[in-house]
Amino acid sequence: MKAKLLTTLWLCCTVVIYASIAQTTIFKVQSGRVDFKSEAPLELIKASSNQLVGLLDTKSKNFAFKIYMKSFDGFNGATQKEHYNENYIESDKFPEASYQGKLIDEIDFTKEGTYTVRTKGRLLIHGVEQERIIKSELTVTKDKMLLKSNFMVLLSDFNIPIPKVVSMKLANEIDVQLVATLVPR
Amino acid sequence: MSFAVTKMVQAQEVDLFAELEKESKKADSLRTEKVEATFKSTRLINGHTNETTRKGILDFRIQHRFGFISNGAYDLFGLDQASMRMSFDYGITDGIMVGVGRSTFEKQYDAFTKVRLLRQSKGLKAFPISVTYMGSMMYRTIKPPPTTYKRYWSDDMFFAHQLIIARKFSDALSLQIVPTVVHFNNVPLKTDKNDQLSLGIGGRQKISKRVSINAEYYYQLEQRVGYYNSFAIGFDIETGGHVFQLHFTNSTGMTERSFIHETTGDFFGKGNIHFGFNFQRAFTLKKSKGSRSGYKVS
Repeated sequence: MKAKLLTTLWLCCTVVIYASIAQTTIFKVQSGRVDFKSEAPLELIKASSNQLVGLLDTKSKNFAFKIYMKSFDGFNGATQKEHYNENYIESDKFPEASYQGKLIDEIDFTKEGTYTVRTKGRLLIHGVEQERIIKSELTVTKDKMLLKSNFMVLLSDFNIPIPKVVSMKLANEIDVQLVATLVPR
Repeated sequence: MSFAVTKMVQAQEVDLFAELEKESKKADSLRTEKVEATFKSTRLINGHTNETTRKGILDFRIQHRFGFISNGAYDLFGLDQASMRMSFDYGITDGIMVGVGRSTFEKQYDAFTKVRLLRQSKGLKAFPISVTYMGSMMYRTIKPPPTTYKRYWSDDMFFAHQLIIARKFSDALSLQIVPTVVHFNNVPLKTDKNDQLSLGIGGRQKISKRVSINAEYYYQLEQRVGYYNSFAIGFDIETGGHVFQLHFTNSTGMTERSFIHETTGDFFGKGNIHFGFNFQRAFTLKKSKGSRSGYKVS
């Protein structure tokens, strides 16, 4: 009797495991773009990259995004870009920035519509990790999702000092905008 | 057993970042990336580096050398005298630059072209070194001493060719070797060759994010009597986009023919050392619409 019960249990488990694997709940970034902007009294610096990659699991509500720092382009000239890579972001040492965590708010992914969600996760830039809650806007349509987010990054939080000579040209508050289209993997 | 199930589901959740790593690995491996900023400036100290001025940037430079420190207190350790070269450099493309200059040393004009031939890169199509060609011509206009033979204006022309082979070994350390030939249209002695060969070695070691120690030595394959090999050591200090260079050198002139082959100062023996600096100011003449990103996925 006991053995029979165990077998049934085992079977149930197997079914559950298979079900969780078979049902793909993971979405991946099809195309994504990140823009950042520094608005200092004497200079406006803008750069962007379309190399955003990421995954979002609608079931566990976990996500992970990352971007290759050297892919940022724009700036006010090539020299500035070189300084961004060499002196500030140090992209040879810290090639990627990432954000991974969990959606806090409940979302019905089966229903189309636009949702405002809070995400909680670890933001990693310049080798420094910070616990953040970032608000995002998620638009669910039939076969894809559109993710929009706008948040601030303080250079001082990520161990990126601003030399005195450029203090009027580089802001400590960097405005980051993220747009991504997610499709089932 | 149900515990095991939750464990497994959890494991699947946690793996998301690893999954992402796996996914992007392929794109990462296809990336080729140019190595940027082997040196901070287009000049190491007296000589060129493999770097060129970026496209559309006009670079105004003043290179300044005081007199010999060994002149002593009477000359305030050389501060009473000055040798100066000022120049305008311009980047035609990101790989080609031209420049004109004028030195107080022998009232000399010069012009040069620098072309990037190969670039160090890493990733899919990795390449270990950067190679840049530098060609220059110099025209000396100082009134010549009386000669027993008829002089032509072309006697005051000089030409130099350099192949600058550089490698950025790490974030902090870059080295270069510079095979050089300088052509003298007219040489003072019959035994002097018109084409003179030399080999330059130089490098930089960063000591902080914005300061590096530089050194440069040019070895003449056939040293002429009364002249020394050029040696220089100094600092690069980056101050918000501009590079300020401070150094000590035994060379008075600042063009290839004068500092490589006509250095009269004895650095180590007599302490004939100039204190000097290079000052630079860049002007953006042509705004590039979004700089090229230096990497591509093929």
